Amino acid sequence: MAGAIETAGLTKRYGPVTAVDDLSISIREGAVTGFLGPNGAGKTTTLRMILALARPTSGHATVMGRPYQDLEQPAHTVGANLEVAGAHPGRKGRDHLRSLAAMASIPLSRVDEVLRLVELEGAAGRRAGKYSMGMRQRLGLAATLLGDPQVLILDEPANGLDPQGIRWLRDFLRGMAAEGRTVLVSSHVLAEVAQTVDDVVVIHRGKLVEQGPVSRLTAGGHVVARSPRADALRAALERAGLQATVEGDTLVVDAGDTARVGDVAFEAGLPLHELSARATSLEEAFLALTSDATPGEAAAGDERSEST
Amino acid sequence: MIALVRGEMIKVRTTRTALGFASASILLVLAVVLITILAGDPTTRQEKMDAFNIGGALSIPLLLFGIVGATGEFRHRTLAPAVLISPHRARLTLARLVAYTFTAALVGVAMLLVALIVGLPLLSGQPGPDLESSDYLTVIGGGIIAATMSCALGVGIGVLVRNQVAGVVGALVYLFILEPLLPLIADDLVKGSILGAAATLGGASPDEVSWLGALLALGVWTAVAVGAGLFVDARRDVD
Repeated sequence: MAGAIETAGLTKRYGPVTAVDDLSISIREGAVTGFLGPNGAGKTTTLRMILALARPTSGHATVMGRPYQDLEQPAHTVGANLEVAGAHPGRKGRDHLRSLAAMASIPLSRVDEVLRLVELEGAAGRRAGKYSMGMRQRLGLAATLLGDPQVLILDEPANGLDPQGIRWLRDFLRGMAAEGRTVLVSSHVLAEVAQTVDDVVVIHRGKLVEQGPVSRLTAGGHVVARSPRADALRAALERAGLQATVEGDTLVVDAGDTARVGDVAFEAGLPLHELSARATSLEEAFLALTSDATPGEAAAGDERSEST
Repeated sequence: MIALVRGEMIKVRTTRTALGFASASILLVLAVVLITILAGDPTTRQEKMDAFNIGGALSIPLLLFGIVGATGEFRHRTLAPAVLISPHRARLTLARLVAYTFTAALVGVAMLLVALIVGLPLLSGQPGPDLESSDYLTVIGGGIIAATMSCALGVGIGVLVRNQVAGVVGALVYLFILEPLLPLIADDLVKGSILGAAATLGGASPDEVSWLGALLALGVWTAVAVGAGLFVDARRDVD
């Protein structure tokens, strides 16, 4: 089945710099997908090409089976927020939404509905330039919801949010997914998305490094065993073909199966005080996939796109 | 297209930019009317028409209004949400053009109302022939055309250059420094000058170029700027 969002061979070059390199991804309909990558990986550039805000050097992207620019009523199909609100600082929040609603032939009554949804009614009469970062993020989200779209594309929506705001955003995204919407949310902060996403797409230096269900990325992991005879248990595990490291009375075993470790301990007559499986966290998986990233590193083209 | 224009009109109405330029334009026209009539002592029909001419230099604030409005979309990065609604950039730019020129027409009407309400009583005591209906038609119709075309020219320049400071400064440098130098290159070039054409449309003496010639000249300037803006804008990414 075709994905809600697809790219094929998507490439964007800025002079000698390749910001996005032959990227082919498919975003599952009705799922929340995290679009992950270090700063400057090419996430924003990719999203901008999907939304026809930037022309690909080669390749193409579709949303619900069609290039974005060919959608009949884009605002009713896709809600996207790439800027922090994208509102004129001298314009009131409500007026910003009214102008967009008018352009998309959306009844102005919908403006108050989306303001309620993002809990911004109280500040709707203030000029956007006076908004905090969190309020601007909410205003941007309100704009994406105007057309009640089936697909949401959000670029770093948690930027500048306080912990309460991040929690609100997480609930908001889950709520959108519960309504059957497709959500593609980019982020470079794993904690923001780890508890929210169903699938992940990881890019690094403009190239795809992983895509699929988040459970696949975090599969495997280790078994943690605690025993007062840790060294003897390690020896027994090694005889059984399992590698383990010892830290005090705790062993970390390279195995995904607690039963096997338990069986080895039982057969060796060794006591166990704890036996548990520890899955690989999304952060560990992400760091493993993008381990050659240098902190703060960004290609010129990416800096340009991520800063927008 | 109508929906896009409606949205652009809301955008124009909901910042202080339009109000600021409208206020400046009306204050300028008030000053020109008072100076022309009280200090200039007009006695001929042409001199009296000049008191009500909102073309020429008085159309510059509206040209700047167009530049500031169009470049403001780039400066404040407000373009992307609109392009997401209308990915066909030319339609969006044309909707903005319509919204700004309509606003400029309204400002032009307000300028003329102020000029006529203040100026006519002052002119009634002046010697010489009174203005005729055709004079009023030229001053009002031509003035509004000059105002709207100047603003449209500004929108075209703004879309083309994107940078607000470069657009405003570049336009002022051209109008006040380079354009007056055109006759040094060739006398006929003055016939195609922006300020000369706008002034003629608004009722200035058509010595250099006829009224229709002025309409054509300003029309060509506007068409070239808007056309170039549309052409370039359709080929560049939205920041």
